[in-house]
Amino acid sequence: MKIKKTVIFSFIFLSFLTACSNGSDNRHEPQSEADLKGLTLACTNGSYYQQKYETREDIRLFVASSEPDAIQAVCQGHADVYVSDEVMLTRADLMRLGLKKSFVGEESFDVAFAIKKGNTEFAAQLNDFLASTPLDDIINYWINEGPYVEEPAFTIQEGAEPLRCVCAVNIAPISYIGDGGEWQGLDVDILRRFAHSLGRPFEMKYQDIGSDIMAINTGKADVFSGCLFITDERRKSIDFSDPYYKCHPGYFIIDRSSEAHMSLGERLKLNFINENRWRLIVDGLVETLKITLLSILFGTILGIGVCACKRSRRKWLRKCADLYGDFINGIPTLVLLLILFYVVFANTGMSASLVAIVTFALCFASSSGNIFDASISSVPKGQTEAGLSLGFTPFKTFMGIVFPQAVQKGLPLYIGECVSLLKNTSIVGYIAIADLTRASELIRSRTFDALIPLLIVTILYFILAWAIRSGLNLLVKKRLSI
Amino acid sequence: MISIKHLSKTFQNPDGSTITVLKDVNCEIEKGEVISIIGPSGTGKSTLLRALNMLEPPTSGEIIVDGENITAPGYPLDKLRRKMGMVFQSFNLFEHKTVLENIIYAPMELLKTPEAQAKEEAMELLKKVGMAQKADVYPSSLSGGQKQRVAIARSLAMHPEVILFDEPTSALDPTMVGEVLSVIRQLAKSGLTMLIVTHEMRFARDVSTRIFFMNEGIIYEDGTPEQIFEHPVHSATKAFVNRIQKLKYDIDSDNFDFLQIHTDINRFCIKYNITGKQDLAYTLLKEMLFTHLRSLRPLTFRLTHTELSGVTALDFMVEGLNESLLTDTARKSIRPQVKELIEETTTRGFRVKLII
Repeated sequence: MKIKKTVIFSFIFLSFLTACSNGSDNRHEPQSEADLKGLTLACTNGSYYQQKYETREDIRLFVASSEPDAIQAVCQGHADVYVSDEVMLTRADLMRLGLKKSFVGEESFDVAFAIKKGNTEFAAQLNDFLASTPLDDIINYWINEGPYVEEPAFTIQEGAEPLRCVCAVNIAPISYIGDGGEWQGLDVDILRRFAHSLGRPFEMKYQDIGSDIMAINTGKADVFSGCLFITDERRKSIDFSDPYYKCHPGYFIIDRSSEAHMSLGERLKLNFINENRWRLIVDGLVETLKITLLSILFGTILGIGVCACKRSRRKWLRKCADLYGDFINGIPTLVLLLILFYVVFANTGMSASLVAIVTFALCFASSSGNIFDASISSVPKGQTEAGLSLGFTPFKTFMGIVFPQAVQKGLPLYIGECVSLLKNTSIVGYIAIADLTRASELIRSRTFDALIPLLIVTILYFILAWAIRSGLNLLVKKRLSI
Repeated sequence: MISIKHLSKTFQNPDGSTITVLKDVNCEIEKGEVISIIGPSGTGKSTLLRALNMLEPPTSGEIIVDGENITAPGYPLDKLRRKMGMVFQSFNLFEHKTVLENIIYAPMELLKTPEAQAKEEAMELLKKVGMAQKADVYPSSLSGGQKQRVAIARSLAMHPEVILFDEPTSALDPTMVGEVLSVIRQLAKSGLTMLIVTHEMRFARDVSTRIFFMNEGIIYEDGTPEQIFEHPVHSATKAFVNRIQKLKYDIDSDNFDFLQIHTDINRFCIKYNITGKQDLAYTLLKEMLFTHLRSLRPLTFRLTHTELSGVTALDFMVEGLNESLLTDTARKSIRPQVKELIEETTTRGFRVKLII
């Protein structure tokens, strides 16, 4: 019944989106910056282009939160021109999306890697590597489809720490997740060779720019990449390596001559089969499930403790439990997650998943503790007295008489809390955990298709929620035979 | 069997003030006694009962049961409570268990009675209280009286030596009091030691071998039912046992709610077990209000009943009037229907009292 409803809902959703996404009108094709007059320009938040065009009154800006969003704005007719680094899209991507490069700007920028401020030794290592590597050939391979440059032989030392890289760009040919979930692209290729030259394994994580800079500053990551321009403003908070590439701005528009249209089957294939993208979804599903279930487990154990404190005869314990509840309730879960990851456990080497589990367990402890307390309180005192008067010990009275009734009353609330925890875990992408939501984002940013990945993820969350709900119901009812 | 020495109980209010409910209670209870504890509200009757099985640990004093001081710290209270059953005002059946499960739960868990035997015994007990038919239903579908009968069966299942009844009928609808009292009456004959806190005077007089009249936190008077009800020593006891139950209405216009009065009289008569007088009271009231006293408004009407003597009266009072306004025709019509017709002028006004 529920599944049926979802299907119906999805169809309505789908047809609505298709209806919405066909708006575009006949505008002229700009050939220079001056031609941009009267057009709407899509760029990303915090980019150089945002600053540059903010002051031009004859241009409207569409500021998107990521490159794929900006590209989609153009594809769907919300904006006329997508402006970004000229190398942002491969020829294949352009064709598939029905876009074309209108013109290339005259400015040029130095592109470099960002590292932690003041880490001169590491900077020297990186610069030496860049100087001794055939960068032009590598660039030629990735940008102009030249011949592949063989990597020199290397050995990875046993037990060596990986070179931890972060980026905010998941677009070919800069850095993107290719076949089988492997990171590829110009930046990735250079950095992987650099890691190998140091005898260290390579690791790449995708998160938004703010988190990337924070990760570099707190030492959670070694290198931040992704076609970064060297600007004076950025120099204030991070250091740059020597530049390895010169980049021009590119202006992309809809190619009216192309007939880029895909059937639903093709879209499904593109989003899930190509480059083994389904594996991202599966891995994300496992990650989400792992974080959710472990958080529920530890959160429940902690919650029992919170409940015990709340019901304690000692006033200071009750006060502590109240303070804890107020503290957790007063902080958005996301903020707590960031604080724990970047401040509290910053230098402990704890994995991001573990920090996420700790965060959600702490939150879940507060809410489940409240539910336990309220459920136990809702069992009339007379039940305890009746149990005691029959000769049960206080413990047996609680376990045999009060507890089963409390469970009966509190179970729906508890299950609701578990399901909302599941949904809350979708914020872990902020600390670079590739959960289900992040998996859909990664796919979306490669295929520029919003609908299919989101739809699939919606359905998967729905099934997960249903599974948790019925699983808990079954478990508890079997255990307590109620 | 049980001896209580200098028992006192003081409660602490949240604002820090204290209230002493039991001051100094002393008594000896022998095996097989059926003791009713009566007295005004708030004089510690329930607290005394709850202190006996330590649900309400006393502030000071001692309770000796079979030679053992149960108020001593660390005394195994669960063992004590197994031989001292309790029946609560609010029944307290386990809502998540069926009637049968409610009864077999404690014997199976605590006495390790095999399930088959426990069930057999439970069915016996349910038959005894007339609830065998409802063995497999959940308590939520039972009426108050039925719940209380199951609760009694539940405490009997532990084969207690003593049963404490804490106002077993106070939470019941008047129509259901009878069924519960008759079960307790039956038990009283079986030789079980029983302590009953109750407001049912006739019941107390009929079933008890001994009465405690509690007042001001002590056992004010202790004696056989005859002593307490017929020849009480203290004036407070006398006033209490002869207290009058009242139903009172102020009638100031013809538009009063006669249906409501009718319903209330009905409940009143059931509660005090005088349903035989209900129709007469109703007829007389109607005749007086609509015929003989029709022009007299406002007036106050009272229905009174003295439980012990069984005297019931209808009482009409018109304030500020100093002579009877009953006509001879009215007197002639009323007199044959009542035991006595009293007309009197009081300081407040004129009163007609019909004893029925």
